[in-house]
Amino acid sequence: MMFRYTVNPALCTGCRTCELACAFTHTQEQKPGRSRIYPIAYGPDRFVPVTCLQCDDAACVKSCLFDALKRNETTGAIELDKDRCVNCRACVAACPFGCALIDDVHDEVVKCDLCGGSPACARFCPTKALVYKRIA
Amino acid sequence: MVQMTINGKVVKATEGEMLLAVIRRQGIDVPALCDHAAVEPCGSCRMCLVEITREDWNGWKKYVTSCLYPSEDGLIVTTHTPELQEIRRNILDLYMARCPGSELIQKMGEEYGLTRTSFKTIPEGDNCIMCYACTRICEVLGRSAISAVRRGHAKVISGPFGDPPPDCIGCLSCAHICPTDVIEWHDQDGVRGIWGRTFDLIACQQCGKTIITRDFAEYLKEKRQIPADYFDICDDCKRVELARKMGGLVDQAKEVAS
Repeated sequence: MMFRYTVNPALCTGCRTCELACAFTHTQEQKPGRSRIYPIAYGPDRFVPVTCLQCDDAACVKSCLFDALKRNETTGAIELDKDRCVNCRACVAACPFGCALIDDVHDEVVKCDLCGGSPACARFCPTKALVYKRIA
Repeated sequence: MVQMTINGKVVKATEGEMLLAVIRRQGIDVPALCDHAAVEPCGSCRMCLVEITREDWNGWKKYVTSCLYPSEDGLIVTTHTPELQEIRRNILDLYMARCPGSELIQKMGEEYGLTRTSFKTIPEGDNCIMCYACTRICEVLGRSAISAVRRGHAKVISGPFGDPPPDCIGCLSCAHICPTDVIEWHDQDGVRGIWGRTFDLIACQQCGKTIITRDFAEYLKEKRQIPADYFDICDDCKRVELARKMGGLVDQAKEVAS
């Protein structure tokens, strides 16, 4: 079984429900600033939900010198092993899309892990701009 | 697969897996200061000592550092006995004398009923417990810029001959892995200082935000073939850029459709 997370910006209304769902799922706090997904406006009333694209040949995985970033073959997500991470921020600097993030509250690197196979952002997206679906 | 007994419970483990990992998987809290998943264990902090015995040992037992002891069939492990707690308390007593400035050590001491050390506090104590986590992580990184220099009481972690380490790239891995948080560093005006050296931080070409040092980026480029332009702008600006590019494509597709 293989799953893929897809983003369709044409359907995004910029409601930011994904941001709240993400922040609450990962930090138990309703603070949009602590989310791993950010709907960014690129024009009037036009938004792109920017989040980790789980690249096939990922710069974050390549840049991690401690093998803390590994792909979970079931969910397709590149997961950050917190026990191995030493907060050197190589991944933050290397990700070409800026989607390896720094959590300022705990001063640590955080990254989208597709919620272990059931992404909260996709579940809460009212317009289905974010979809997590089975592809094979 | 091997079968062992931990605190009276029969558990299974892969052969050769270190005891500490198996113990922690059972939800048993054994303290450890020098242990980190990213580096090889070295057993220097002595906090993870456990008691082991076997049925054919006729009541003999021994204390081993669980981070360094591989799982074996038929091992009987006990993690908390009055003797073990006493050993840990004594070690912490010594650490407290050496690390008056470390919150973690003082807090751990309190957990073992030590309000203050019974030894004379080292006034010039550098708060370092000599666990080598920093040198081990630097080795994993492939730089080995720092190591222990001098011997006995004078032993300190430093660059070669006590000088600033020429191979350091200012990545801060050592500072972040340090259990007692003693490695001093600072980021100021686009310059990072650590181990008596200064490093240029790469400033984002759009907003000026700094993330890593130029030397670290060079090292990543060379060792992991990360394209050079990946480090030009910061993560915040990269996200905005991505939104702009993706949005442009969406607009194009809409135009084509209409």
